[in-house]
This record gives sequence, structure tokens and C-alpha cells, in this order.
Amino acid sequence: MDTMILKGRKIVEGKVEGEALVSKEPLSFMGSMNPKTGYIIERGHELEGECMQGKILVFPQSKGSTGGSYMLFDVVKNGVGPLGIVNIEAESIVVIGAIVSDLPMVDEIDISLINTGDYLIINADEGTVEVHKKEL
Amino acid sequence: MYLTDKEKKMLNGDFGEIVQKNMKVLVALGEIYGAEKMIEIKNVHSPGVSYRVTGDAGLNYVKEASINGYFITPVTLNTIGIDVEDWEKIGFPADFSQKQVELVDAYKKMGAFCTNTCTPYLVGNLPRFGEHIAWGESSAIVFANSVIGARTNREGGPSALAAAITGRVPAYGYHLDENRKGTHLVEVEIALESDCDYAALGYYIGQKVGKRVPVFRGIKNPTIDNLKALGAALASSGAVALYHIENVTPEALKENVLEDNYEILVFAQEEFNQVSEKFSIKGKVDIVVVGCPHCSIEEMKKISELLSGKKLKSDMWVCTSRQIKVLSDTMGYTEIIEKSGAEIICDTCPVLSPTLDRGYKQVVTNSGKLAHYMPGLWDVKTALIQLEDCIQAGIDGE
Repeated sequence: MDTMILKGRKIVEGKVEGEALVSKEPLSFMGSMNPKTGYIIERGHELEGECMQGKILVFPQSKGSTGGSYMLFDVVKNGVGPLGIVNIEAESIVVIGAIVSDLPMVDEIDISLINTGDYLIINADEGTVEVHKKEL
Repeated sequence: MYLTDKEKKMLNGDFGEIVQKNMKVLVALGEIYGAEKMIEIKNVHSPGVSYRVTGDAGLNYVKEASINGYFITPVTLNTIGIDVEDWEKIGFPADFSQKQVELVDAYKKMGAFCTNTCTPYLVGNLPRFGEHIAWGESSAIVFANSVIGARTNREGGPSALAAAITGRVPAYGYHLDENRKGTHLVEVEIALESDCDYAALGYYIGQKVGKRVPVFRGIKNPTIDNLKALGAALASSGAVALYHIENVTPEALKENVLEDNYEILVFAQEEFNQVSEKFSIKGKVDIVVVGCPHCSIEEMKKISELLSGKKLKSDMWVCTSRQIKVLSDTMGYTEIIEKSGAEIICDTCPVLSPTLDRGYKQVVTNSGKLAHYMPGLWDVKTALIQLEDCIQAGIDGE
């Protein structure tokens, strides 16, 4: 199995591992997802219909409403949120949500190297993402 | 990052546990973004006041803060999840409304003004040019930075709360001169007339620039309502917190605001059509929604003129702040609007209220922000058309 280690920047500390759910499009935690179920609901979004529960959510950056910080907190507290977040560039709304949710988060990662289904080991303290490519 | 003696004491717990916890949030943010110090602020507009947004997690977070915490700056509250007076008549669920009241009470106990609007700048929270502030509500942030020239980052609920409790924000992002330069020049090649035209421009450009800073060229004499619509759309499809308009907005009046290496974008008929096609519907119109961001008094006047003596076949929501509603009552606009069958909804909006089970499938609006959010939140299709056409569609029912 192919493995690589990507080096980025710590946003919120912690270690976590799980399967990647990857979006090439920005995501808003307000309006793009249902905090009670963890499903993506934004019409036409490439992840519409996917569930973030138990996944490492990988997307370029957050967008949209500032309600997103509490909605990320809520989806995590409801037990249907992501286990960790990987961004290209961390935008403040998701950062604030991740801080209060104690959600491990790393940015400055080239997310084009990660596909949905890859197994990720995040060591946010070191800012690293270990990618185990999904066997095709 | 550098902290003053007082800030160190806040962080060490000398001012109590709540101040310490909130200072920690701000220091963590500051360290992530490489802030060198804190900046004192005296003006907060707090998002995260709708129970739809906070859920129980955020409600408990705010209630916990309110036990011993209090705000040391003036704070206005953003749009909440119910109309405080008419929630029952509109049909918002009682359990949701109860939690919503608890949430607002917690903010009020800490010292917030219950303005319950996304347009604080229309109801008395008006920062100075260049003033450092901590604002949430994506549409208000972009208005404050761009139209007023105040300085705020995109604050989420927890960081706005922390700013209100400590009177500080970390010095990064849009607080610093170097981050307020334009990254994209947008050549606007068609004449923009309605708020809806400005919303279409905002929606298109927000998608293109993400969190960067667009500079518009070719926009002449926009109204405050035009700029409100533009900013709200920019901050929905993207994460735009600041834009400039050459010869219009305060930081683009005299000198060049573009960075050395800027990109060029064009907004002409083709780009306008792309947005119109994305948000178009055919057939029955179940509801017309206007007032996102909340209607100004001039919009209320215009709506009352368009509805005068008419009867609506479709439902219609006119969303505004309680303060503007009071003025509309005085002016007689409320009576005219309600006679047509439209409902005036205060304190809330379809983005932040609970989704009602009214069987709506097709919505028309003049707001880019609503056109963007309602399909996911209400399971509907939306059309983005100008106010006059929205109201005509409501009268015709299609």
C-alpha cells in the first residue's frame, strides 16, 4: 500500500486517524450540512448526500456564514461530526469552531494528494498527515 | 505573541475562570495567525444567537459563560431563530422557541443589546472609519469593513463572545493594513440597477475569489441597499470579508488599493446570465421572501408601494429588524404590506429560523444569500429576481 507523509501546520492539537472524505470545493458548516445527522445538504455541492460522521474531513477552506463555528461545535457534540479537519488554508470560522470543539486540525496541506477513502493518520501537534492510499 | 500585564493576568486566571477560558481562545487564534499582540476593541456584533446555529452545544457554551461572565464592550445581537412576538402565529415550534429565549436571555444577562438583526449598522451600531471591531454575521462584517472602513475579521460565535468578555482581539488579518489591499480587479461591464443585480455580481465573484479581496471598477453611485445586497452574496458563495469599489468605498477613494500582483476578473452579461440560470424556476411560486439582509426603511417603503391595493396569491415574508418594523408601523407601511397578505417577520429569517412544514417547493427572492442557502435548508428551489418581479410573481402566484 502506498504511504506518504505530508507536512503542514498545526491549527488545533491532537492525534486522530480515520478515513478521508475529500471535497475540492470550499465548505460551510452553516448551511452546507445538517448538524443533527452530519450529512452534507448544500445543493450541487460535490459532497451533497455524504455524511461526515467519523471521517477526516478534507477541503480547501471554509466559506459562508459565521454561524459555522457553533454549527461545527454542535455537529461534533452530537457525535455525528468529523474526527479531524485538513485544509489548504484555515479560514477563521472553522478554526474558531475547531478550537472550542478540541478537534484536531492541520492546514497548509496539498489536498490534491488525498482522495476520499484514503486512510489518514493526523498528528496535529507535528502538523503532519500520514496518507495511506486506498488500494484500487 | 506579546501580551500586556493585564492580558497576562486575564490568561492566568486573575480575572476568573470565564475570562481565562475566553482569553485562551483568543491567544490560540492569535498564535495560529501569527498575531504579534492583542488590539483593544469597544464594539462587538455577535453571531451565534440563533438556536438553529448553536444547537444545544452552543446554547450550553453561552449559558455557562453567562453564569459569571459579563461583556465589557457594547454588544449587539445578530438575527435569532424566531420572531420574538409572533413566533406562535408564524408556527415556530414551542420547544425551539423556548431554547431560543434561553439563549437570548444568556446574552442579555451578560449585557448585550437584543437588536436581533443582521443589519446592526441600520439600528445604531455604527463603528467609526478605521475602528477595530469584532463582528460576526458574514453580511455585516463585509459591510463594516468595506462600506464603513472599520476593521474586523470574520468572527464566529465563540470568538465574538471572547472579544466581548475580554475587550480584545488578536491583531491579524483585516486589522492590519497589509491585508486590506485588493487581490482581484473586477471589471464590471454591465450597468447594475437593482439590489438583485448587485447580488448576482456578489454571488459570481464570491465563488471566484473565496476569502480574497475584490476591487470593483465601473460601479457608479450605489445605494446602501445595493451594497448590503452585494456584500451578503459575496460572503455566501465565498468567504469575502472586504471589498473595495473604486471611487466609492472609503479606502478606494484616492489611492490605488490593489496589490502589485492582482488578478483580473470580468463581470459582463454572460457572467450575469450564469447566475440567473443557476437560480431560476418555472411554474408555481409558493413563497416570496425579501429582506435578507433585513430590510431597511427604504426597502419597506418600496415594498409597501408595490403591494398597495394588491392581493398576493403566494405567501410572502418581509424580513426586517424590530426597530425598522416600528418605524414602518408609524409610516403606515406595515398596514399596507399586511393587507396584501404578506407577513412581516422580525428578529429572524429563513436562514436562521427553523424550517417550517408549509409544503413550499419554489421560492422567489431578490437576495443572493437566500437564493444560496434556502435550497439546502428548506429543501426548495429558488429564483433570484428583482424586487418588482418578486412581488409580481407573488401576485400572479407564478
